[in-house]
Amino acid sequence: MVDAFFAVFQRPNYLTFVVIFLWGFYIMVTRYNLVKKLIGMYLVQTSVIYFLVSISAKKGATVPVLLSTTEPVQAASYANPLPHVLTLTAIVVGVATTGVGLALCAAIYRKYGSLDEQKILERMEEIEALTNKKFLKD
Amino acid sequence: MSQQLPAILFLLPLFAAISMPVICLKHRHWCYPISMAILAAMTLVSILNLHNVIHYGEVRYVFSGWAAPFGIEWVADGLASIILVLLSSLGLLGVVFTGPTSPKALGGRIVHYYTLILLLISALTGIVFARDLFNLFVFLEVAAIASYALVGVAGGRALFAAFRYLILGTLGASLYLLGVSFLYAVTGTLNMADLADKLPLLLSSKAVVVGLVFMFIGLGIKMAVVPFHVWMPDAYANAPDSISPILASLVTKVALLAWVRIIYWVLNVTIVINDIPILLLVAVLGALAAVIGASLALAQRDIKMMFAYGGISHIGIILIGIGQGNQTGFVGGVFYLLNDAVMQAALFFLAGVAFCHYGIRTIDDIGRVGKQAPWVIGSLIVMALGMIGLPPTGGFFGKWYIILGALEANNYVSVAAVLLSTLLTLAYFVKVFEAIFHQTSIQSDVQFGEIPLSFKLTLGVTSAAIIILGLFSSPIVQLLLNHTLPPGL
Repeated sequence: MVDAFFAVFQRPNYLTFVVIFLWGFYIMVTRYNLVKKLIGMYLVQTSVIYFLVSISAKKGATVPVLLSTTEPVQAASYANPLPHVLTLTAIVVGVATTGVGLALCAAIYRKYGSLDEQKILERMEEIEALTNKKFLKD
Repeated sequence: MSQQLPAILFLLPLFAAISMPVICLKHRHWCYPISMAILAAMTLVSILNLHNVIHYGEVRYVFSGWAAPFGIEWVADGLASIILVLLSSLGLLGVVFTGPTSPKALGGRIVHYYTLILLLISALTGIVFARDLFNLFVFLEVAAIASYALVGVAGGRALFAAFRYLILGTLGASLYLLGVSFLYAVTGTLNMADLADKLPLLLSSKAVVVGLVFMFIGLGIKMAVVPFHVWMPDAYANAPDSISPILASLVTKVALLAWVRIIYWVLNVTIVINDIPILLLVAVLGALAAVIGASLALAQRDIKMMFAYGGISHIGIILIGIGQGNQTGFVGGVFYLLNDAVMQAALFFLAGVAFCHYGIRTIDDIGRVGKQAPWVIGSLIVMALGMIGLPPTGGFFGKWYIILGALEANNYVSVAAVLLSTLLTLAYFVKVFEAIFHQTSIQSDVQFGEIPLSFKLTLGVTSAAIIILGLFSSPIVQLLLNHTLPPGL
């Protein structure tokens, strides 16, 4: 038990990842405000990106540009560039998704006048009841 | 030239999508014919590609000269080529259908609407070809972003459905990416073939198993397998009528294809059968989805909702076929996937025609216009035969091979699930036909007139395809057996 406890603290990056991920997930599940849900979603995305970067971190390593052309390449002295590149793409994807999400939020607010999930659902029912009444009258 | 076909297939719709806003800036009515022409060309090229792959073997496309384990690799093998013919032809039909049904409120933004459709199709092409886990993630997200926007276009309820779809879809994508980074941390590679070489030695690592679980949950949300299906009926039922056929027939099926790639191409066949019981998970979830989806469909009165839940149960049936771990089950699953994509497109075309031309949303209303809608009723009968799985249609032969595969694997629960879901499908179509042929239903006095040519075309072609897939099932299954099986199965 104690060993497991210390093993976790040996890797603070994993711990941070788990905390941010669960925090974001908790916000997504519990909040009714749509923008808060989006913030939770963005935290989840960011935590995964953070995890991807943190596994490629290396102590005493430098950027992957050859230090010398005459000596043989020492893989241990360079940081792995691939996860960083993947991260960059993942960030772009995340930004695009958040943009679409915010646009949807704005459209929902214009239509229903609220960002609260429960209020929106209530308005939806009201509008539907109104249109049904009109339909019956016609 | 034939080496370049995968890239051409992807770039055709992509370039058209990018240049669409420029070309159609002044002439809004050009985007409909241009999209049709591009997708018709794509269909022809994909048939050419399938022909090449069958006769000269698979094509490996390497991007910008970086060889496979380091660079991104695309492979046009038999499975990808067949799915691509399906994808481009259904995309073409979807665009043909889009013309007269696209939302009128869009006005000038109709150009962006076509841009998004073409972008969606090019991203799906990328998912089909990609042999790199991260590349797959990027295309999954491009396809997903395009579909969120397309669902939201209808306004009103659809906005909220699209928002839910976005939240859940992004959670799925994040979990998939997390799984990919677990596998990358263990193996140091993202290429599927390279992973297939390295994973057998690393099975004792918990990170591999956990990574696979995350990837499965992520893709499960994307393909709407049962515990993760909640976004799907709302999104597809509220999406604009012109877009739900493309979404329902292609997006979930292509995500399922990505999962098939990961089970059978990233993991070895011997591993999935002997070491990690992942096929059992797939078969059990498939059985749950098949039964639960069909019983939820039975409870619906809205046509599109009913068809969306029917789609969930059919995803389950495909998974049952894939999860048997033998040739018959796998081929049955892939054959059923082809059929299901056609049937879902057909059903949502029908729902679109019913609403746009006759103003019908629920099954009770169908009875009222029954006498005036020969095309709708005729094609509905063919689709019902296909969905239930009665002999001349492809649905029957797909289920037949899946059941044979399950019997071969002594998996009687799967057999029972397929049969039960068939009975439930029969039940909800009986409900529809009861509404249509019930004598006491009041006929509407409104004269609706002939339906437009594009409606006749889409309904006719998809209904004919359901029958043709059944009549030519044995050569198609033979083709699948020869060219689509994963290595080692």
